[in-house]
Amino acid sequence: MSTLQRPLLVLLVCMIGYGVVLGPFTAYMKQKPVEEKLGYVPNVNLLRYVSADHKELVGAALLMKVLMYFGGLMDKQASNVVVEKPDFRGMSNIIHSALKLDPYNMDGYYFAQSFLVWDVKQYDIANKLLDYGMKYRTWDWYLPFFAGFNHSYFLKDYKKAAEYYKRAGELSGNELFFSLAGRYMQESGQTELAIAYLLILEKGAKNQAVKKYYQTRLTALKEVRRIEVARDNYRQTKGAAPITVEQLLQGGFLSPAPVDPYGGQFYLEPDGKVSTTSKFAFAGANTESKQKAGQSR
Amino acid sequence: MFSIIQITIKGIFRDRIFQGIMALAVLFLLIPSAASLSMRQVTELSITLSLSIISFILLLLAIFLGATSTWKDIERRYTFSVLSLPLSRTTYLVGRFCGIALFLLITALFLGTVAMLVIKVSSAIYPPTRPLLWYAIVVTIVFDALKYILLVAVAMLLATVSTSFFLPIFGAVSAFLAGTITQQVFDYLQSPSAQKAVSATVRNAAQALYYLLPNLSSFDLKVNAIYAIPLNLSGLLWTVLYFAVYTGILLAIGAILFERREMK
Repeated sequence: MSTLQRPLLVLLVCMIGYGVVLGPFTAYMKQKPVEEKLGYVPNVNLLRYVSADHKELVGAALLMKVLMYFGGLMDKQASNVVVEKPDFRGMSNIIHSALKLDPYNMDGYYFAQSFLVWDVKQYDIANKLLDYGMKYRTWDWYLPFFAGFNHSYFLKDYKKAAEYYKRAGELSGNELFFSLAGRYMQESGQTELAIAYLLILEKGAKNQAVKKYYQTRLTALKEVRRIEVARDNYRQTKGAAPITVEQLLQGGFLSPAPVDPYGGQFYLEPDGKVSTTSKFAFAGANTESKQKAGQSR
Repeated sequence: MFSIIQITIKGIFRDRIFQGIMALAVLFLLIPSAASLSMRQVTELSITLSLSIISFILLLLAIFLGATSTWKDIERRYTFSVLSLPLSRTTYLVGRFCGIALFLLITALFLGTVAMLVIKVSSAIYPPTRPLLWYAIVVTIVFDALKYILLVAVAMLLATVSTSFFLPIFGAVSAFLAGTITQQVFDYLQSPSAQKAVSATVRNAAQALYYLLPNLSSFDLKVNAIYAIPLNLSGLLWTVLYFAVYTGILLAIGAILFERREMK
């Protein structure tokens, strides 16, 4: 019995100590600032060899890592915490690595398409990635649909866009794409095209962070569309184009006042195009809103 | 022969290895919720996770059972009592191999059934964009089992000459890693950029290794199972023949070495 006395005493003291420390320790951990980090990923050529026969798993794990990182940032943005701009370059690199390991993984193409074109405007990288995916996912209409959208909405290359939409139509059997190939090819129809495109993506999004991302963008574009309609009505009625959004509000063409979900302010460019000081991105709103809003007035 | 197979299987069950596998199989219950994190391919991700778990468990079994069974028998001096029976050392070795191979097949069957149920649940909650190719999933699991049975033969061959379990275990792990990349290295060496960058001697050495080492990438059909891509039947047939011939060679060399081994 005496041999057990010492360890028992130490155990008792430590248990009491644990109880004492646990409270402040947990409190400290709760308020400890957390850094959202994308981290480092080894070169894809090394991963390809090391992952042996689990390439699909490693590819999926890399994509999950990017998604978790992005989801964490989105949550913070939603709760109005000031965060750094997402590391889009790092995200793109990891997604490219994942798709080299598993070129069939749809999550990679879907996610890359969402930020490469809207946030960083890397249309060429996005389109190359989609072309790469089309070589493997030969049955998938989403990839040509994305590529068609990029070519028409962002690059204004309507001929190329029509080719991709036709391919999407052939693969899906959906008439919408054939009509897309011709219908929305004028500047005036571009916002409607983007709304239709985002509605399809938003409907199919399972991940809450990604869904929210699309919903915000969709809300912004619907507001743009509202201003566009008001602008056209103004031009028809008054015979001259409006210069500011305020004119539309005062003239009763636009009600209620449009709200940019990214925190910016809408304004009309000299050619009549509707823009916003946030540039349709959370990070853009903070830095340039006041300056640009002043200019537009 | 059959008594050796029986003893092997009984021994494995007595070591509670199957219970261990069943405990690991609890991981399958987490798959549907883990796969729901995927944005566009929940079912595909649940197939990926299921097949990877099966592959990983079979790898561990192949390496540890293949490497330790003969070594353990010699170490515990079981071989003396077994080999005093009227059967040859070759029969003993092949019997042990067949026992472990049968156990791997039983495990693959058990885990495969659980995986199919999990995939069924996932696909019911989030229907996939393409219909599932169930036969491709079954064939993938069977070929995974074949791959690891081949690895058991590699481990047992090394165990026949080794005095400890280090050589068979690390040798089998190395053979596994090398076997999964030989095809990639071979394809790279055939490319025009490699023709310039790599010297002829290295290329020839790599080519020799390509034919010498087991080509395990041909057994990996996960992409077909996950993305419902039809299988190449003649390719499958060639792989099965390759498996039979390669395993036969390994066992034959193992038997020759084991016959000549001195046991004190």
